[in-house]
Amino acid sequence: MSRGMLSRLAEALYWIGRYVERADDTARIVDAYIHRIAEDPFGDPDAACRSLFAILGTKIDPDTPVSRENVLSELVYDQTNPSAITGALLAAHENARRAREVISSEMWVCLNSTRNDLGAQRSEATRVGSASYMKFIRERSALFAGLTDATISHDEAWQYLILGRSLERIDMTARLLESRLLAAEHSPDWLTLLRAAGAMESYLRASSSGSDPAAIVTFLLLDRTFPRSAFHSLNVADRCLEELTVAGSRSDTVNQARRTIGFARTRLEYSDPRSVLSELQDLLDFLEQTCATANNEITAHYFRQVVAVPWESEQGT
Amino acid sequence: MPRPVYKEIVDILVNFNAVDLRSRFDQLGRTFAERGVTFALGGEERPFPLDLIPRIITAVEWGELAAGIRQRVLALEAFLDDVYSHGKCLDDHIVPRSLVTSSPHFRREAMGIDSDNASRITVSGIDIIRDEEGKFRVLEDNVRIPSGVSYVIENRRAMTQSFGTLFSHHRVHPVDEYPARLLAALRRSAPEGVRDPTIVVLTPGVHNSAYFEHVLLARLMGVELVEGSDLLVLGNNVLMRTTHGERPVHVIYRRVDDEWLDPLHFRPDSILGVAGLVNAARAKTVTIANAIGNGVADDKLLYTYVPDLIRYYLNEEPLLHNVESFRLEDPDSLHEVIEHLEKYVVKPVDGSGGKGIVIGPQADEATLTAMRKTLLHDPRGFIAQRTVALSTVPTFVNNHLAPRHVDLRPFAINDGKDVWVLPGGLTRVALPEGALVVNSSQGGGSKDTWVLADESEIAREAEVMRTNAARLLSPPVNGAFRQYGPDPDSSGDQ
Amino acid sequence: MSLPTDSARLEIVHVTGFNYEGFADSSYNEVRMSPITLARQNVLDASIHVRPNAVQSTYRDYFGTIVTTFDLHEPHTRLEVTAKATVTTVLEPVNGESVPLSSLQLPLAIDKFTEYLVATPRTTMSNAVLEDLRTLVPKTDDVAEIVSVVQAWVRERVSYVRGSTHVSSTAQEVWEQREGVCQDMTHVTISLLRSLGIPARYVSGYLHSNFEAGLGETVVGESHAWVEFFCGSWVGIDPTNGSDIGLHHVTVAKGREYGDVPPLKGIYHGGPSSALGVVVEITRTA
Repeated sequence: MSRGMLSRLAEALYWIGRYVERADDTARIVDAYIHRIAEDPFGDPDAACRSLFAILGTKIDPDTPVSRENVLSELVYDQTNPSAITGALLAAHENARRAREVISSEMWVCLNSTRNDLGAQRSEATRVGSASYMKFIRERSALFAGLTDATISHDEAWQYLILGRSLERIDMTARLLESRLLAAEHSPDWLTLLRAAGAMESYLRASSSGSDPAAIVTFLLLDRTFPRSAFHSLNVADRCLEELTVAGSRSDTVNQARRTIGFARTRLEYSDPRSVLSELQDLLDFLEQTCATANNEITAHYFRQVVAVPWESEQGT
Repeated sequence: MPRPVYKEIVDILVNFNAVDLRSRFDQLGRTFAERGVTFALGGEERPFPLDLIPRIITAVEWGELAAGIRQRVLALEAFLDDVYSHGKCLDDHIVPRSLVTSSPHFRREAMGIDSDNASRITVSGIDIIRDEEGKFRVLEDNVRIPSGVSYVIENRRAMTQSFGTLFSHHRVHPVDEYPARLLAALRRSAPEGVRDPTIVVLTPGVHNSAYFEHVLLARLMGVELVEGSDLLVLGNNVLMRTTHGERPVHVIYRRVDDEWLDPLHFRPDSILGVAGLVNAARAKTVTIANAIGNGVADDKLLYTYVPDLIRYYLNEEPLLHNVESFRLEDPDSLHEVIEHLEKYVVKPVDGSGGKGIVIGPQADEATLTAMRKTLLHDPRGFIAQRTVALSTVPTFVNNHLAPRHVDLRPFAINDGKDVWVLPGGLTRVALPEGALVVNSSQGGGSKDTWVLADESEIAREAEVMRTNAARLLSPPVNGAFRQYGPDPDSSGDQ
Repeated sequence: MSLPTDSARLEIVHVTGFNYEGFADSSYNEVRMSPITLARQNVLDASIHVRPNAVQSTYRDYFGTIVTTFDLHEPHTRLEVTAKATVTTVLEPVNGESVPLSSLQLPLAIDKFTEYLVATPRTTMSNAVLEDLRTLVPKTDDVAEIVSVVQAWVRERVSYVRGSTHVSSTAQEVWEQREGVCQDMTHVTISLLRSLGIPARYVSGYLHSNFEAGLGETVVGESHAWVEFFCGSWVGIDPTNGSDIGLHHVTVAKGREYGDVPPLKGIYHGGPSSALGVVVEITRTA
């Protein structure tokens, strides 16, 4: 049971977890797409890019043509949009600066040096291609995850990091799967997506169904042990919330987020793998909604309003 | 000619070869940078340069200095108490009333704020110099938010790691007791009736030049480091926003200046403070350390009256003297100083960080002319002091030893019963040759300050260490013994 | 039936506050609307009511004013503060000899009254005006005589007109505009007196200005401001009405200027605020 920490720091940790995961997963998806676009001589790059923007929830003007360059500038290199890869990393860094005292110095150094290297990596990418930049992002995210695992105590601070990471993971896995639904002919094939999720080998070991879409979807949504499966992440999130709950709180103050996560977990647990494909859109919407709702509930319950807003003066006669 | 106490140090250092010395020096700088021991200069974080050669003070000298500091703090404490209640020293004409009432740091909001347990000057930094005759003199009092103790702690840590051999020839008083003493004073200052007070360090945040110090002290004391937005006042109770709801706060060691502390009473556009904090302090539900309104005692014009305050409140003669100073509101003093401006140091009454100081002998004609005009226009805004040939200490400059001017800021903690002075303090050294202004913002560096123990002190210290070693074996309480345990930050590099 | 002429009992109701566009969700406020007990008045009853409901705290500030504080943390569109008080006033007995102006110019006196001799943000006046003042004022040591000349000059130069000044208007601005309300006339008078070495302070309070009203008749009163100057003791004068301070004046607070005694001040988070219409009702009951 936790003792409680400053809301401001807890919120910063939660967002570090979310943003680093976002950078990593977005890099994986964008990489898969860019390869697909490059490799397919008959495809429609504009439509493919549009579907990518749609999946990542970034608005794009319906009238202007969209190309690989737009993807790179807006989803990869943009520094101010926290849904872009670079923007997410910078946001993680900014949060880490404020929460420096509760993360390990190695975690800080990792994020700080990553931020410092972004410029050089980008220059490199203009020479040798964007894949190098994406690889850099994925490697640094993996390093950060490793340091999170090994260099701070698995205490309350750690729980917020993992909670953020898990929620983001659920959301990104849902988006990854959604790409096949939205515009299947423009998105990478199932195997490529599996690879993008880092799931290829695990899937092949676990399943004998080859590239059967149903099996792949089931794996990514319901597998108990694969870290990026939605079900696994829901479990992790649930455990975090359990650890973060105040000992002895009355049931009417049980935080809503646990209920939301618990409910989603149960729904997935009892899903029938045979009907998963047919109700996929429904399930994905449900998962994305779950993440959004849980985020708001966690914020309302643990973080409350800690924004420093200037006061207005008033005088009366 | 370096004073005799430096002989052994110099001998040891002379035996290091230049390359080895340089590399240890660089390592010192790297260690500092890694640990974040920096200060902000023009928006950039720079390491605060530490000189290899410690500044040494003998036990006897220290005894006298510490007694003088204690006396001075007690007099200032009594003055503040008086001025924010009955104002007797004003009625008795010890200090002109207008000096107090026209000071921008005289906070009328603090009238009637009184604490049962707390002193007003929990932490003070009394800046000291040594004059031509080797006598210590007070250069300036700092009783609002004196900073620099983190450098004292870090300098000592760095010196023991990189130059352990230097310590083998001397018994030097440790400085690591400071956080425990501060914590104890803060606990004592909690509102009456609170058994286990929650103490916090209130920082303006990461952009503040002394942020590193706020982090270090909070960590070493084992208390939470908070920003204004983490706190909330509800009906005169101060609460801290945590993930488990709002928790009461009883003592705030604040590193935020009065001006920014409470938008209800002071600057309304401040986002660094907490609305309603002053009224909570008045209601005695929270202790603010250092107290609101201390700045009237820091005022450089009041400085010229401090010897009188010592006589008035303590019935004693001052043990430490001021640097000879002149009040420019006095027409004769004004005339003398303007006529011979090149012989004086002129300081704004309300300055900090060395800004606005004009050092007569070093200033060019244009600066002197401008200052003459300013003084005629606003004599109450300045005091003048004769230039003192500040003492120098051997300093490692460009691979050789050279004398450089130094001052000293010892830190004192007043817990309401006792004034404890940290053995040593921050020695600041003006690195450019001949330079006299030692502030970090103007090209200064620092030295580790050694107060040598005498024989009886060494024996007492050994006894204390034996007792504390025994305590180490029993469960720690509130991190108060943290400094005796293994250093969690030690990366093991040498 | 004629009213008693040596004392009066007055009941005051003063309502003020703010409207917010949208909501205010959090505010911290201080109220200085409670009359104090003095030689010239005895407070029989005084209370402050706040809507929305809030826990109140009181203290006496540096100037001896009774301050009521409260904070609100639920969203609200309107803050209403009502001060009610019942006070008996008496005519102030003449308190000893008046001192000559020259004694006020001795260092000890200047030291003692320093806060009431220096200019403050709202009591600043240009050197040109102060020069004019010096030529106008008689060369006498009689403080009261000087004060009366100053008062007459102010009434001649500044007319009582609402709406042309605002709460932070300085004395100089008022002098140039030649118009102002009681707060402004008071600041102007104070500036002039201080420049002559006469300690002067600002008094806030209420005035029942309808002398025709009978007992028990509630009239529209006003928040009012006037001057006290020192000439051996503190003596009050009303620069707006050109009169002495009498039974119909109720004192709330004294300070160096308006900024020390605002009836209601605070900070809030929320939509822009505008003042509620201020209502002051006074009833003489004895």
